Amino acid sequence: MTTTSSTTSFAASVLDPIRAIVGERGIITDPGTMQPFMESWRDGWVGRSPAVVLPDSAQALAAVVRICAETRTPIVPQGGNTGLTGASQPHADGSEIVLSTNRLNRIREIDLDNDTMTVEAGCILANIQNAARDVGRLFPMSLAAEGSCQIGGNIATNAGGVQVVRYGNMRNLVAGLEVVLPDGRIWDGLRGLRKDNAGYDMKQIFIGSEGTLGIVTAAVLKLSPLPRATATALVAVSSPSDAVDLLTRAKGKVGDRIITFELIQRFCIDIARRHVPDVPDPLNDVYPWYVLVELADQDSGERLAGMLEGILEAAMEAGEVLDGVVAASKAQADSLWRIREGIPEGQKREGVSYKHDVSVPISKVALFLDRANAALEREFPGIRPFSFGHLGDGNIHYNPIQGEDGDPAEWKARLGAVNAIVHDIVVDLGGSISAEHGIGRLRIDELPRYKSPVELDMMVALKMAFDPHNIMNPGKILRLNGNAR
Amino acid sequence: MKILVPVKRVVDYNVKIRVKADGSGVETANVKMSMNPFDEIAVEEAVRLKEAGKATEIIAVSVGPAQAQETLRTALAMGADRAILVQTDAETQPLAVAKVLKALVEKEGPTLVVLGKQAIDDDCNQTGQMLAALLGWGQGTFASKIVAGEGSIAVTREIDGGLETVDLKLPAIVTADLRLNEPRYASLPNIMKAKKKPLETVTPDSLGVDVASRLTTLKVVEPAKRKAGVKVADVAALVDKLKSEARVI
Repeated sequence: MTTTSSTTSFAASVLDPIRAIVGERGIITDPGTMQPFMESWRDGWVGRSPAVVLPDSAQALAAVVRICAETRTPIVPQGGNTGLTGASQPHADGSEIVLSTNRLNRIREIDLDNDTMTVEAGCILANIQNAARDVGRLFPMSLAAEGSCQIGGNIATNAGGVQVVRYGNMRNLVAGLEVVLPDGRIWDGLRGLRKDNAGYDMKQIFIGSEGTLGIVTAAVLKLSPLPRATATALVAVSSPSDAVDLLTRAKGKVGDRIITFELIQRFCIDIARRHVPDVPDPLNDVYPWYVLVELADQDSGERLAGMLEGILEAAMEAGEVLDGVVAASKAQADSLWRIREGIPEGQKREGVSYKHDVSVPISKVALFLDRANAALEREFPGIRPFSFGHLGDGNIHYNPIQGEDGDPAEWKARLGAVNAIVHDIVVDLGGSISAEHGIGRLRIDELPRYKSPVELDMMVALKMAFDPHNIMNPGKILRLNGNAR
Repeated sequence: MKILVPVKRVVDYNVKIRVKADGSGVETANVKMSMNPFDEIAVEEAVRLKEAGKATEIIAVSVGPAQAQETLRTALAMGADRAILVQTDAETQPLAVAKVLKALVEKEGPTLVVLGKQAIDDDCNQTGQMLAALLGWGQGTFASKIVAGEGSIAVTREIDGGLETVDLKLPAIVTADLRLNEPRYASLPNIMKAKKKPLETVTPDSLGVDVASRLTTLKVVEPAKRKAGVKVADVAALVDKLKSEARVI
């Protein structure tokens, strides 16, 4: 859109027909109003777009996609825009329209006997959690952005979060989907079935596809019984491998009552306490590693607290656990959670950090940390290891921070080198370079290095089958045929 | 100095309270129960007095059902030395509890009783005062600071519009307010030790106290739901409504 005539023709051929479908309320072209849709909240992705389109029904959204398909106008689907990989912002050239699901925000149905809830893609995650709780059920997806992220985005990115160890990630929580395909057809797959082997499981293709294969407009979500009691503890361990032993012990005793099992390096707590108010340090001594563990079940709680104490006492006698505290009330449990929740915020304020959202088999977590820390220290002396994450899923947020000395610009320039060292070790151990955040634009150029040609071929074949003209979120996850997108 | 700390088992502060469908009371089945938060503060203060060398023994007491043992175990894990459960399934009311505590004071001979200023379930705020009257002891209620001296104790009280410091001759009663301290977490080693500390169970009868309820609950209802707000078109309409409907200006 560099010349007036092309701008005019774009308006006439694309924006006017779209406006005719969604009405004035459904389209934003004013740059100031569009701005929140153009940028990411954390990592500085900023794009441009001729219009943000906000349909209020799947039918209207499909009609908009049809116009885009006919005119080969690329589309960036967007939910709550809280992702961490630049997948939901447009590129900087201003050629893509942003298709927002903000107005698709109805809860269509709750089926208590089937334990399912049918929701539209733009429903805010926290609203879904509350709607489930109001009818005595749990929707277990829970993550830091839950107050603003949308379920459509959670599905498109196969979100993870803090309860995956018990309930699985988004992939496990979806029974059915409604999707608008890149040619504008609607696939109604809103089936609330636990068992459905009638052919390929198409919904799983779209879950985690980051908007590159189609736009999720509604979903049937699986609900769980609402736990009545939780028991929460923070314990100190001497190493990640002792934390893994504790996890194995706990799984053997209480199995899927474990809803959270987070590993936290001491340095993370120091950083959280340095920058975030009200982060407690409840143990009397300082230890190298901590585990935040939470159990939940349907009972009244005293039995559950007893189980947790029993496990921790046995672990202490075995030398796996050095010390610990058990929350005596929900207020104390909330306070322990502030440690875990304060870490990302604290880290943001501490200086340049190198983020890695990686997973390895749980049995390899300790080895991964040893190898990565040693390799980085060798290459970049002074770099400060900073690791925390969902040990129960083998998912570590491995985010080393720059050394205390040195020019931040110099440290910043080492990002690619640090990524390569860490990801090489991850993949060598059979792990993944993106455990839960996705690929988006952040890892798009690293993916070919770590996926086999066979796997990349399958991914490209899938993309070509659904979106042969590459209009659906181009330049995210994959670049086609060496194209820029 | 021996300290007696009464603790009550109540619905956890962070649990949303639900009224039973028949209006006879609050739903407590399958609800998370914890120690009354003000009692936690009382236990913490007693433990601090002991750690400072001012107290020699802390006895935690609870009047309630068998499950109140868990609450006493929490007090033991925080640092109380032993515990007494006065077991009853009756709905406990302040006067009966005060009488039970009086009997225990006479039996155990503490020089200080530290209580929470009130329990968050019935919000009575009476037990400490009643106990002081029954024993004829001095009382320092709503304490935000305690300084133990020789044979006396200085208590800073939170009162309307400021603070008041009273000097009490021991033995005395103190009730804890929110700002007195921040209770500690029960550490794992202390939870393990607490399981080996003595926990004695007695009945109100053995103390010669009748805990039968003297009050009858007629009905328990939820507070009225807040009505939805309305949007006004402009400032003039707002001012008009504030004048004619709300009558605040």
